[in-house]
Amino acid sequence: MFDPNSPELTRPVEAVPREGPDVPAFVSRHGSFLVLVSVVIAQLLLLSFQITRNPNVRLIRYWAVTVFDPFERSLRGLLDASAGTYSTYRNLRHAEQENQELHVRLVAAQAQIQQLSEQAAETARLRNLLQFKSQLPYQTVAAEVIASSPGENSNAIFVDKGTDAGLATDLAVITPEGVVGKVLTVFPHSAQVLLLTDTSSGVGATLAQTRVQGIVKGASGGLCNLHYVMNEESVKPGEAVITSGLDQIFPKGLPVGTVVKAGDGNIYKEIGLKPAVDLNRLEMVLVVLKPTSSQQQALNLHGRP
Amino acid sequence: MVTSASRPVPVYSIHPAIMVVAALLALLLQTFLPLKFPLARLMDFPLLITIYFALLRRNKVFGIGLGTMLGLLQDTLSHGYIGIFGIAKAIVGYLVAFASTKFELESLMARTLLTALFVLVHSLCLAALQRTLLESPPPFQPLAVASGILVNAALGLILFQILDRFRRTV
Repeated sequence: MFDPNSPELTRPVEAVPREGPDVPAFVSRHGSFLVLVSVVIAQLLLLSFQITRNPNVRLIRYWAVTVFDPFERSLRGLLDASAGTYSTYRNLRHAEQENQELHVRLVAAQAQIQQLSEQAAETARLRNLLQFKSQLPYQTVAAEVIASSPGENSNAIFVDKGTDAGLATDLAVITPEGVVGKVLTVFPHSAQVLLLTDTSSGVGATLAQTRVQGIVKGASGGLCNLHYVMNEESVKPGEAVITSGLDQIFPKGLPVGTVVKAGDGNIYKEIGLKPAVDLNRLEMVLVVLKPTSSQQQALNLHGRP
Repeated sequence: MVTSASRPVPVYSIHPAIMVVAALLALLLQTFLPLKFPLARLMDFPLLITIYFALLRRNKVFGIGLGTMLGLLQDTLSHGYIGIFGIAKAIVGYLVAFASTKFELESLMARTLLTALFVLVHSLCLAALQRTLLESPPPFQPLAVASGILVNAALGLILFQILDRFRRTV
């Protein structure tokens, strides 16, 4: 790296003068050292002045700090900005991964919320059902809908209670909203329930206002018809229809549905009903057990079926 | 490695603006970095700048002047007496410039060793001045001095490489 013959090397170092008086020669030869000595002595004097008289030397410091302060602030701002930029960059790098993690957590939280709301709704339904059950003057069994019967025109469901729970055929199946249907077939641990909307079903019913009686049968489109009401009877849409109790299956006074249309037929009116119960959203039902003879007597005494 | 006193040696120069900026940055970093990194207390940027430019110019008076100026500025920005760093850095500036005329110091290893040696000289000068002049001088800590030598030698290795990019041959 060091080449003495290089043309770049231009200046001889420590050239010593050969002529002149002794003192200048000494100064010239040791000039730099004398400069060092002078500088050191000067600073020693400054130090001794500070130590003996004024240790603070406020003015010099004031100037120095005044000069350097803007630069220090700028440097600090620059470094802080750099740190902020780097921090932002680093955060952005991790943002995608964090976003994915948060998305997964969000989906899990949403599923949990859905589950909890389902449980809350189910609890509310069960509380409602229990309250309704306690108000009924007859013995009932709560059952959960576990399946629907296959087939396009099959209006039946399966519940999770069977003969083991005391169920039998032709027992009324109800909810707090009204009549659902009746037990069609009973198995040891389940039962098939024929819904009100099935064309083969039949429920003894009464128009709530006029007390005109008839029989409710299933119709197409999830609706029912009220049969055997004479043309001369006055029936208006919106009128409630309740069970009459005459069929010996459904207790008297349970909501069956609401009249949606009423018109005259040949002899009997053609009356369309909308079921009181939304049969497409059944989850829990009550099966009304046959009252024992003593219960029947008590019910008769209280004027109830 | 040893050069003759009358032997021509390469002398470099650097743009004065770069020198001023480098000195200013050294002082700023010296006051700012320890706030962020405690290890930076071991670093002495003004000393490294003194060593580098004294080596570059191979001029003892320049080394004394630069060392004195940076040392005094360092003193004013510190809380101690003004002159302690000034004297120590003036001595180092002189010795570096003297050594640069006697030895071939272009190699990386030579400059690193020289840096380590003059960091030690600087520490010894400081300790001597403090013990001589101050009523209650700080205790001499050999471990801290050794750590300072290692840190500043390593830092000088990097810093000198950067500053070499700005130098030009006279």
